[in-house]
Amino acid sequence: MRIRSVIVLLPIALLAPVACERARYVDTGSPEGVITVGNVDMQDILKASSGMLESLAETGVLKTAKNKPAQLVMGEIVNDTSSRFDVGEMTYRMREQLVNSGQAAVVTTFGNTPEDKQAQEVLRREKFLKGETSEPLPDPDFSLTGKITQVKRSAGDTKQVTYTFRLTLTNLRSGLEVWTKTVDMTKLGNKNAVGF
Amino acid sequence: MICTTNVTTTKSSAHRALRATTVATFITAAIAVAGCGSVNTTYTRTTPADSAVAAQTRVNDLFQQIFLTAKEVRMNRTKGGPMEVQIDVENNGFAYKTFSYRFDWVDTAGNVIPSQLSVWKVTNVPSGGSTVIRAIAPSDDASDFRLQLRQSES
Repeated sequence: MRIRSVIVLLPIALLAPVACERARYVDTGSPEGVITVGNVDMQDILKASSGMLESLAETGVLKTAKNKPAQLVMGEIVNDTSSRFDVGEMTYRMREQLVNSGQAAVVTTFGNTPEDKQAQEVLRREKFLKGETSEPLPDPDFSLTGKITQVKRSAGDTKQVTYTFRLTLTNLRSGLEVWTKTVDMTKLGNKNAVGF
Repeated sequence: MICTTNVTTTKSSAHRALRATTVATFITAAIAVAGCGSVNTTYTRTTPADSAVAAQTRVNDLFQQIFLTAKEVRMNRTKGGPMEVQIDVENNGFAYKTFSYRFDWVDTAGNVIPSQLSVWKVTNVPSGGSTVIRAIAPSDDASDFRLQLRQSES
């Protein structure tokens, strides 16, 4: 009876450490992270924001602005995928890089739905108190808009999803598109995995 | 004597047959392995590019170094101002390789410039093929880079 128990329990005892993985810290966006087939992962967001920033720097489009540094309005960026995530994960990383490095200044007090309504009110009040002509309101150079889309296909159990991040920069003086960039990510498989 | 000769002859035939079988098996295996998704590459440039720069590699993974080789490193200044690096990576192995890489940019003092551009990116290269990995510096101050390369375990 005892031998039989040992025979039954031994393989379970040997497999137990293999099956469980202790929680640990990994670098954000590290290749050791979880990769899913049907969702946009953190690695994808970081790759997309990096690709966008590289293209902006490479073309030098922000240097063509009238204002120095270029003034930027964040327009609508639509997540048109079935993966639920905040688009701000990408845009705030881009803003951090552009604003902190002095390449651009983001106008948060522009339009009817400003990002910082309180700051816009203070600015309008100051303008009103000082007179119409003094201290002009921010005069942005560009607006950034975009869309994230997906194309899903499958063959048997294998799924393939391509997530496409596309951003467009519009010159607010001419109304023309002055920069656009597409970053694709294609993932293939039938189950989620840890590590690339 | 005749018998010995016969035996020797038989042995020699067996050896030759065995050697032929081994060679045939090896060639078949090589064709089978190399044939799976391998690519043939044709290029016209035979000398290093004008923008090619010398690079130093610290090897911690010998297999990775054998199969994935950085053939040429080129650095140029982009239209926008910051530096661009392009590295030709060749896969000399028999299998499709997936690897991730990350560029860190440094200024003239050798300090790393922290940026949102330094992220791990994944790419693939088929057997016998090559790919170009490229990166743009986060600012005009960046003058040099460090590249980390990790091969997938799968």
